[in-house]
Amino acid sequence: MSVALQNLINKPYEHGFVTEIESDVAPKGLNEGTIRLISTKKNEPEWLLDFRLKSYQQWLKMEEPKWSNVKYPKIDFQAISYYSAPKEKKKLASMDEVDPELLRTFEKLGVPMHERAALAGVAVDVIFDSVSVATTYKEKLAKVGIIFGSISEAVHTHPELVKKYLGSVVPVGDNYYAALNSAVFTDGSFCYIPKGVKCPMDLSTYFRINTEESGQFERTLIIAEEGASVSYLEGCTAPRFDTNQLHAAVVELVAHDNADIKYSTVQNWYAGDEKGVGGIYNFVTKRGLAKGKNSRISWTQVETGSAITWKYPSCVLQGDNSVGEFYSVAVTNNYQQADTGTKMVHIGKNTRSTIVSKGISAGHSNNSYRGLVRVAPTATNARNFSQCDSMLIGDLCSANTFPYIQVRNNSAKVEHEASTSKIGEDQLFYFAQRGIGSEEAVSMIINGFCKDVFQQLPMEFAVEATNLLGLKLEGSVG
Amino acid sequence: MSIVTSDSYLKSLLHGQSQLSMSPLERLNQLRANAVDRVSALRIPTKNDEEWRFTDISPLTKISFQPVRMASPLQSSSVEHFYLAETVTRLVFIDGVYAPNLSTQLSETSKDSNVVVSNLLAATSENLAAIEPHLGRHTDFQDNVFAALNTAFLHEGALIIVPRNVSVEMPVHLLFIATQKEVASHPRCLLIAEPSSTVTVLEDYVTLQEETYITNTVTEIVLADNATVNHVRIQRDSKQSFHMANCSVSLARASRYHSVSITLGARISRYNLNVQLKDEGAECAADGLALISNHQLADTHTCIDHTKPHCTSRQLHKCIIDDAAHAVFNGKIMVRPGAQLTNSTQSNRNLLLTSKARIDTKPQLEIFANDVKCAHGATVGQLDNEEIFYLRSRGLSEVTARNLLTYAFGAEIIDRIPIASLKFRLEQTVLEQTQKN
Repeated sequence: MSVALQNLINKPYEHGFVTEIESDVAPKGLNEGTIRLISTKKNEPEWLLDFRLKSYQQWLKMEEPKWSNVKYPKIDFQAISYYSAPKEKKKLASMDEVDPELLRTFEKLGVPMHERAALAGVAVDVIFDSVSVATTYKEKLAKVGIIFGSISEAVHTHPELVKKYLGSVVPVGDNYYAALNSAVFTDGSFCYIPKGVKCPMDLSTYFRINTEESGQFERTLIIAEEGASVSYLEGCTAPRFDTNQLHAAVVELVAHDNADIKYSTVQNWYAGDEKGVGGIYNFVTKRGLAKGKNSRISWTQVETGSAITWKYPSCVLQGDNSVGEFYSVAVTNNYQQADTGTKMVHIGKNTRSTIVSKGISAGHSNNSYRGLVRVAPTATNARNFSQCDSMLIGDLCSANTFPYIQVRNNSAKVEHEASTSKIGEDQLFYFAQRGIGSEEAVSMIINGFCKDVFQQLPMEFAVEATNLLGLKLEGSVG
Repeated sequence: MSIVTSDSYLKSLLHGQSQLSMSPLERLNQLRANAVDRVSALRIPTKNDEEWRFTDISPLTKISFQPVRMASPLQSSSVEHFYLAETVTRLVFIDGVYAPNLSTQLSETSKDSNVVVSNLLAATSENLAAIEPHLGRHTDFQDNVFAALNTAFLHEGALIIVPRNVSVEMPVHLLFIATQKEVASHPRCLLIAEPSSTVTVLEDYVTLQEETYITNTVTEIVLADNATVNHVRIQRDSKQSFHMANCSVSLARASRYHSVSITLGARISRYNLNVQLKDEGAECAADGLALISNHQLADTHTCIDHTKPHCTSRQLHKCIIDDAAHAVFNGKIMVRPGAQLTNSTQSNRNLLLTSKARIDTKPQLEIFANDVKCAHGATVGQLDNEEIFYLRSRGLSEVTARNLLTYAFGAEIIDRIPIASLKFRLEQTVLEQTQKN
């Protein structure tokens, strides 16, 4: 490995800094009191408090899951502060009033909110720690009837929608971390696309974990009514910390007849240093319900950060002819661990699903694909195609594939294929012959390897993802 | 020997264990005692155990099985139809008990070359040095209750030792015949192929009547440097029976292990095949076919473990699932750190013939080395309409076209069996089974 490459691989996390804003932090620990405190702080209605308490009771009965291929020290759930919000001085009317310290943070991250919004035509619902502080483009969206904002706001403005759909895709007792999230979630995004509306712009949120030792429990709910369509982007960065931070979000998508939801993620949270110290634990439950006929749910993810990524964005294909898609690139380096994949549950007739997963592991990292394709007896003519490719860079990392295929209908056609490869000397030689240095060659090979997934990303994200991958891996080979 | 079992069902399966005579091999006595302890500590697996997630063996625990009673001597005429045309070397076990009158001895030429094909019990003292390093050392029973049960009863069994540079021309036939109702038998095989030797072994499980019983087998196969073993395993147990099997294979440098396992019988069957490629240049080809119908459940778990560089493995497992049968396949390929230049492929293809048939498959790759070529694939589907149309356009009826395609699907595996008469016989079986409607 050349020195230049070595330097690149050891490049410190660029976005590691802590903004010092006075935070309103709840005392550490979790009990009914904490949940009541969160609920009171957020001025929530009675039914939501009941929902939280019910989830908490469920959570108490559950055991921490152990089946994954990731290892981490036991999480002390009593050592986490479950509520932290930047102290608001007064209600903000415009961007100018946003805390300049906060704005500088986004500046450093390269997310000049207004500029970005104006240039790219993206409405950014910025979440700083747990409370949504500013929402842009709201009016423009409101004109076509789209409701887009923070979920705590939606609880007050559209309680009937939140009440109807919250927990309908991911039930409170679904899994340990989903139950925890349901009990203590602080904020997140809410999006409702009414019947027949095509969302005129890509919606996006930026998550950022700030206060040290405050686990973040986001809750996202997206509903697309009959014939509606929306493309939603989610991007993340987090500052450098040495204590591990837990992030247990829940994302629920509901697509009615002929609706189309596209959910894209670029995740680049702090992954810990080259010794594997620190970094985020990203334990997320994401699930989409393709409820109506001809509905479509598509997940695209580029996972490059986090010390541990443990998530399976899933599709429940309930409506006849519904379509589920999953495109993923997961990159792990140093001591990162990733156990990620998808679940495609075919229930309706003629349902189709596609899975394309690309895993790249380098350093001492461990990268696993774990997926489920289940065809229920009712899913006549269901069709699935899965492809999981892994690339190993260096001989200290590992790549695993655990595909579960369960078929109970003989008209179904299910195909799965997986392969493992490396960047070969001969490939690098071929590039060298043509005057392309090894660094650039590696970047090109990797981009080629991930092309199928990157093509699915919206334009701005595709560019960002390409750069991100280059940054993450340059120097791993040579 | 005190037996303390928390699971009363397992305790009942240990009945008669204490009456086994002591072996001249001290380690064997110790091994049995350890196995009894393990059985006492373990429990019958349930669907909550990841390894048994899709295989519910609770029907097994509803029947109480007795130890095998003294077998009534069988006449050769009643079992002759199981014999192979090719082979003259045969060991026959009736309900796990060695039947010398049905077994045949080695031909003179083989005798000269010191090949051992014999009952384990009788041959232990003569072959202590050869057996000691291998018997019970390749099948781990720490967490495997069925392997532990088998080891607790380790007594009689098939022993094959092929000395250095010897090639055994004719296949060796190990025939296990079940005759009694509601008994548990624990057949055991140990095959040691010494350096540069070659042998073909047929492990054959059959029944004389459709009864309920358990066959719980353990087979250990050891290949020394440059040895070649062709291992054919046919399970034709009664459709009411339970068949639990563990097979462990250990490969030394440049050795070759080819196996074909065919599952036709048993109400619930489970076959664990663990292959360890322990030195460079070892080669493994493991093929399997499960042809099941009615309410049969056939579960195959394989683990091919590449521990050293430059090893090759290839695997093709097929399932033909008819009626309301249920097939399970879990194929793990492990590439350990440092096992560079591994070349491994695995394919699992499943044919569902009816709408009630069910398959749960999980091909699995675990790779800890970067310079490797590994691929796996799995498909599930029914017969291709275009293929049927092609045959119909050439004048075949729909039923014939379907039967032919189903037969061809299975024949790909059967064709790989190196014993001609067996191949022919199995092809007939597949034809019969597929030719209904």
